Amino acid sequence: MKNPVLQLDNVSKAFYPPLSFRDIISFNFKNKPPTQALDNVSFQLEEGKILGILGPNGAGKTTLLKIISTLILPDSGKVRVNSYEVNRDDDNIKRSLGLASSEERSFYWRLTGIQNLEFFAAMYGLNKNQARARIKELFETFHINYGRKRFDTYSAGMKRIFLIIRALLHNPRLLLLDEPSKSLDFENSQKIRDFIAQLSRQGKTILLATHNFTEATELSDSLLILYQGRNCAWGTMNELRHRFNRPQGSIADIYKDCTCNA
Amino acid sequence: MLNKIFAQVKKDFLILASYKLAFLSNFLGVLASILTYFFIDKLFGHRLSGHLTEFGVNYFSYVLLSMAFFGYIGVGVGSFSSRIRAEQMQGTLESLLLCPVRIETILAGMALWNFIFATLDVLFYIFLGSLLFGINFSGANLISVLTILIFTIVCFSSLGILSACFILVLKRGNPLSWLINTFEGVIGGVYFPVAVMPPLLQVVARILPITYAIRAMELAVYRGYNLCQLKNELLFLVIFSLLLLPTSILAFKFSLRKARRQGTLVQY
Repeated sequence: MKNPVLQLDNVSKAFYPPLSFRDIISFNFKNKPPTQALDNVSFQLEEGKILGILGPNGAGKTTLLKIISTLILPDSGKVRVNSYEVNRDDDNIKRSLGLASSEERSFYWRLTGIQNLEFFAAMYGLNKNQARARIKELFETFHINYGRKRFDTYSAGMKRIFLIIRALLHNPRLLLLDEPSKSLDFENSQKIRDFIAQLSRQGKTILLATHNFTEATELSDSLLILYQGRNCAWGTMNELRHRFNRPQGSIADIYKDCTCNA
Repeated sequence: MLNKIFAQVKKDFLILASYKLAFLSNFLGVLASILTYFFIDKLFGHRLSGHLTEFGVNYFSYVLLSMAFFGYIGVGVGSFSSRIRAEQMQGTLESLLLCPVRIETILAGMALWNFIFATLDVLFYIFLGSLLFGINFSGANLISVLTILIFTIVCFSSLGILSACFILVLKRGNPLSWLINTFEGVIGGVYFPVAVMPPLLQVVARILPITYAIRAMELAVYRGYNLCQLKNELLFLVIFSLLLLPTSILAFKFSLRKARRQGTLVQY
């Protein structure tokens, strides 16, 4: 693969449980067994492609996105975004990617949608005019006409769209989407999918973590199945069918094979 | 950098302005505090006058200025940790740290609005003090006042950044902030002059930066002392600032890295 936008090499991450009060008063400072969130995960993502990451709860999808976006440091392995390395060129990485987390609370709820976006645009280094022009452009793209209402009055669907818009403010090369249609009804989920497809047509490289098999297969050029922090399968749908010897199999069949055999 | 700091100040102002009674309740609080000390002065002020001769004012004038000034110190010490904790609880800390902004810029932006708000408080104290209670601030040496203010802000903001490290790593329980807010005010001469206290506490007071900050401010405002006359107090504040500022920023970077390694940035 030539000049991948995103490249992970043997990335591992373990979380150690905090010491309990009982441990402290009994002077037991030994580390308890860690939870292995990611175990030697490697993959690459080419410019303009969508990679769907599937996996059950606790498989390590969100941890993976947070490591890529520099919010969590990996224990070992290398992460490169736009050929910048995590933990060395963090500011350049932050300029190169946008993360739309699944966390609606990551906005200031007492401010309007526009005030929130103007604030984050300034933090991304856009001046007032650039910010206004970019927000206008994104509102037109996503048909938003409720930007002047306070954020806490928005529905779950509106908040999700704002998460994506914020991630696009600085026009990043790579977009990380963490369960973009989580807890949305059919209509809003479809709207989000249309947005993602539209972004892909515009040439954005997208990493899409989801539980939704339909969403993943409809939108993604290739898929990665994470299970217990391990990379169980990675490739296009046809490659996965071939590898798992299921010529007519669906992603659900392959997912079952992966998770049952793991 | 300035754009990013201004954006944070604007955001904080808009959030505070969205609470309709925020400004009013704050100013009423200032008024209540002034009245409390006015009546304390009526009751016991004459007993303290002997300890206040070097400042040349009565107890009420002394405490009004030290209370106003203590607002800055409180903001310096408390605003970083309280803002970090608020951002953690709101869920906005991660989205803030996702932006390509230097940590120093984020910290400056976090505290600046609180300092602006504290300045409004100080102006309100001075307005009420001079208009309603006839306190004379006209002899203040403005250069000394500004210099003391700058070094006090740097010194106590550094302590505040150190205290924010506890919040980043431990989430709750902030011994440094508790210690400063609870004991420094009492021992450092905010509510009454240090000379009133027993000799042992006076020795403790001599190693606290707040003692020098309050004393220097009282002398600069009421006696009009210039920088030369305040050299001892200023020297202490400068040394503290020079030691604490780089230490606190390094400690904050270390704590942030630890929280990133543990994956606990959003935990609270």
